[in-house]
Amino acid sequence: MRPLDKVRITLLVVAAILTLVSIYLAVLYAPTHTTMGDVQRIFYFHVSSAWVAYMGFGLTFVTSLLYMKTKDLKWDVYAYSSAQIGVVFCTLAITTGPMWAKAVWGVYWRWEDLKLMMTLVLWLVFIAYLVLRANVQSRRKKANLSAVFSIIGLICIPLSFAANRLWSQYHPTVIATEEGSLQASMGFSFGIALLAFTILFIYILLTKIEIETMRETVEELKQKVGGRHG
Amino acid sequence: MSAVKAIFLKELRVEVRNVQAISSYLLLTVLILATFRFAFAATDPPMDQIAAPILWITIFFCGMFSLTPTYKREVENETLDGLLLAPISRSSIFFGKLLATLVVIFGMEFFAIFLFFGFFPVEVPDLLALFALVAIGTFGFVALSNLISAISANTSLGAIILFVLMIPILLFSVVMSAVGGTARIFAGDGIGEVVDELRLLTAFAVIFFATGYLLIEYVLGD
Repeated sequence: MRPLDKVRITLLVVAAILTLVSIYLAVLYAPTHTTMGDVQRIFYFHVSSAWVAYMGFGLTFVTSLLYMKTKDLKWDVYAYSSAQIGVVFCTLAITTGPMWAKAVWGVYWRWEDLKLMMTLVLWLVFIAYLVLRANVQSRRKKANLSAVFSIIGLICIPLSFAANRLWSQYHPTVIATEEGSLQASMGFSFGIALLAFTILFIYILLTKIEIETMRETVEELKQKVGGRHG
Repeated sequence: MSAVKAIFLKELRVEVRNVQAISSYLLLTVLILATFRFAFAATDPPMDQIAAPILWITIFFCGMFSLTPTYKREVENETLDGLLLAPISRSSIFFGKLLATLVVIFGMEFFAIFLFFGFFPVEVPDLLALFALVAIGTFGFVALSNLISAISANTSLGAIILFVLMIPILLFSVVMSAVGGTARIFAGDGIGEVVDELRLLTAFAVIFFATGYLLIEYVLGD
């Protein structure tokens, strides 16, 4: 067994145990929130999903920059893999969020909240990123164009946060107050959920990179023997 | 500089010669505005509340349609290789095309705004503020769409891919500030009250110009 396989298996075991523990902590151990009730328990997984999504998108940005600097396709595989995971976890975040929001705010979505808007925009940008990759034939072009696109997609985000001041007249910051009022046991449950999701992210990322690398090798071999051009 | 000028004049000639395309963009502008007018005729909401989004949605969609072929035609006519082999920098191709599309979009906007006031008669006390906002918003929009148009020219999909790639980025950058500022102008505010929106649109325009200048090499190169 290769050292990388050992690392992956260890990560999988740790992620599985921590996920089970975090489900126990979130559902049974953490006390019911005084004002929000049981629906607040969604938050342990909702925030963790959003965290993994941001990590995935952030990693795509960094690895896209590295690809453009080095022209090494390895970085492009990293960028693609983390973007895919980011989209999956972002989908989880924007589906679990409204479940909580409907119970607490009375509406599924607040169009005036910058955090929600930013997450939705990131989700759309990275779905577009995947659509772009699926529609470019040449391997090198695919890497170049998607790297450029992910950089344009993310470069606006800091400025949009700066623009918060301009739009802040419309929206209250909701999430910060909730986190500020977390009890110690809730904070512990939240920390474990966050750790479980982070390790799960690393495991999926390593596996996805391996699969993509194998796919590339297969394509190269196909081209060598005159097979279908990928 | 002369390379930028040469590309600019070449692009402008191509655009002007394509009378059929120009007339279809203008017709599309009429149709989008007519669709909004008919859609809102049934409910008749307050004009100053709906006018700003309608104006910008019309500009964005007509603009995106007219910007789709900027790079696509070079691929389809197999002239891109010739352009890339010319002893000029890739950024001069980008800026030449960008200036030509700016002229086309400004022309289209002039027509769209003129028609818009026919369909949606709103009071604008400070017309200069509206023009400033539209002009700066357009700079950012056109800079971004030129880069995305260059990206989408390499894909197997047609015009749809430009929309798929453009809209998510536009939402947070140009859409919110441009529509917000225009709504305030339609509500009676002057240029002094929309300075924040103008600053933000300028910042986005600068970012998109700079990104286009720095990244076009990767988009057009192999």
